[in-house]
Amino acid sequence: MERSDILIKLQDIFINILDNEGIELLENTTANDIEEWDSLTHIQLIVEIEKEFFIRFNSKEIRKWNNIGEMIDSILEKIKK
Amino acid sequence: MYFFIIVFLLYWNFFNKTIKLRNIFLLFSNCFFYAWWNWKFLFLLILNIVLVYVLGIKIEKAKNEKLKKIFLTIGLAQGLGTLFYCKYFNFFISSFIDVFGLKDNLPWTPLNIILPLGISFYTFRSIGYLLDVYNEKIEPEKNILIFANFVSFFPTIISGPIDKANKLIPQLKHISTFNYELAVKGTKQILWGLFKKMVIADGCSDYVNIVFNNSASLPSSSLWIGLFYYTIQIYMDFSGYSDIAIGVSKLLGFRVARNFNYPYFSQNIADYWKRWHISLTSWLTEYIFTPISIELRDWGNKAVILGIILTFLSSGLWHGANWTFVLWGLLNGLYFIPLIIAGKMNKKKKFNSNNFFPTPKEFFSMLSTFLLVMITNVFFRADSVKLAFVYLKGLFSYSIFKYPTTGFDFLMLFLILITMIFEWSQKDKEFALESLNIKYKPIRWGIYMILFFSLFQFFDQPEREFIYFKF
Repeated sequence: MERSDILIKLQDIFINILDNEGIELLENTTANDIEEWDSLTHIQLIVEIEKEFFIRFNSKEIRKWNNIGEMIDSILEKIKK
Repeated sequence: MYFFIIVFLLYWNFFNKTIKLRNIFLLFSNCFFYAWWNWKFLFLLILNIVLVYVLGIKIEKAKNEKLKKIFLTIGLAQGLGTLFYCKYFNFFISSFIDVFGLKDNLPWTPLNIILPLGISFYTFRSIGYLLDVYNEKIEPEKNILIFANFVSFFPTIISGPIDKANKLIPQLKHISTFNYELAVKGTKQILWGLFKKMVIADGCSDYVNIVFNNSASLPSSSLWIGLFYYTIQIYMDFSGYSDIAIGVSKLLGFRVARNFNYPYFSQNIADYWKRWHISLTSWLTEYIFTPISIELRDWGNKAVILGIILTFLSSGLWHGANWTFVLWGLLNGLYFIPLIIAGKMNKKKKFNSNNFFPTPKEFFSMLSTFLLVMITNVFFRADSVKLAFVYLKGLFSYSIFKYPTTGFDFLMLFLILITMIFEWSQKDKEFALESLNIKYKPIRWGIYMILFFSLFQFFDQPEREFIYFKF
């Protein structure tokens, strides 16, 4: 799977969970750019991403993310394994 | 006050030439300011700074995860250990004595440890920094001068806002030029903060003290008024302090975290906590709530509820070592449960902005949130759990129909009403006095002058410390 494919899948998840059709994700999008992305929806997003890609993150990986690009890095790393 | 004027003049006239010179002067001012309150505790502060600085670098350089964890643990143990020792030692000893009924045959007198000023605030700042370094959110600061200024920044050391490293440290690395607009905003914010503190909060304090000291013998009507005044007092006191601290920072060219966003216009308790003491709530959310709820994410709502309860219990303990604060935290946490179950915890609340007046539904939500907050404040203010329950019992009794024996204090009520309506009209601004939408200049200046001179009305009164200094 390519980065761009993951980005598209992530975008669908975000639109779904955050209930906002207008979300457009970029590699450098952060939680500050999306109003609905907060401490609580963050957890729902993680649960959904894990389901979608059949992966499981550990807490340290999750804490490290600063933007969407770093999330994609983590996902890529997991699916390769 | 004089201290700040001298610092302000020297800062912009002589020391703002190079980053190093500016930071040396700033650090000197920080130490002087802190030592002014109590010079002995300055050593504790310096010790904390040096240790956290070294540990930050050690964590980054450590070769394996295990070593990183060891350094982090040392830092946490030092921070929490000192906090625990200074703040909670008496609490645990006295709880222990109570539990085992040792009161009457105690062979020694429990020692009374004085609380180092601002320790809860600077410890949280340091712990947040270490966790950020450990989680690779930020790089450790290599320059000790900059790091020391970050921890001891004098406008915010005593009572917050609790700034994050990635917000304040970059500002310490640049030389700032005097920004007239920012300085004007800062001055207005200080004026507004002083008004809230000296006129409103201090104005409420006598009534509040009388009611809380005699809660057993007063009718319910007096208790409700006293509790209302206390709820207003604590907001005006703490948000007033925050305005002053933020305003002073602005005068020095720094932007620090916002701490209040008109909390009493919140439409539910979750909304309230996003607007009250924001820098502490964000700290607790990031370092307590989020890790717990991520770790237990398979539990769904249960994880969120557990996370919220533990977060608020910590918040309670952070405020002070007394069972009243524990119950205060627990009650706040319990308030969240209906919201979590209904999935409404993080739904954004917006006002219908076309109209000055709130809709009946908005008004009712604000009123009920305010009432819920008032009830928690019984625990926040009462000296003991027993007294808190006496107060609560008194609140909900038939004597509510009796004339309040303590009177109403109509002048105060009027001032509160005017201030709150003014804040309501400015609720989309950072602080109420930020930019008055009055075109006619003399009226604007008239308002500033009235606020300014109203402060002098209260200058001859006994000086009252800010409530949050004791935390």
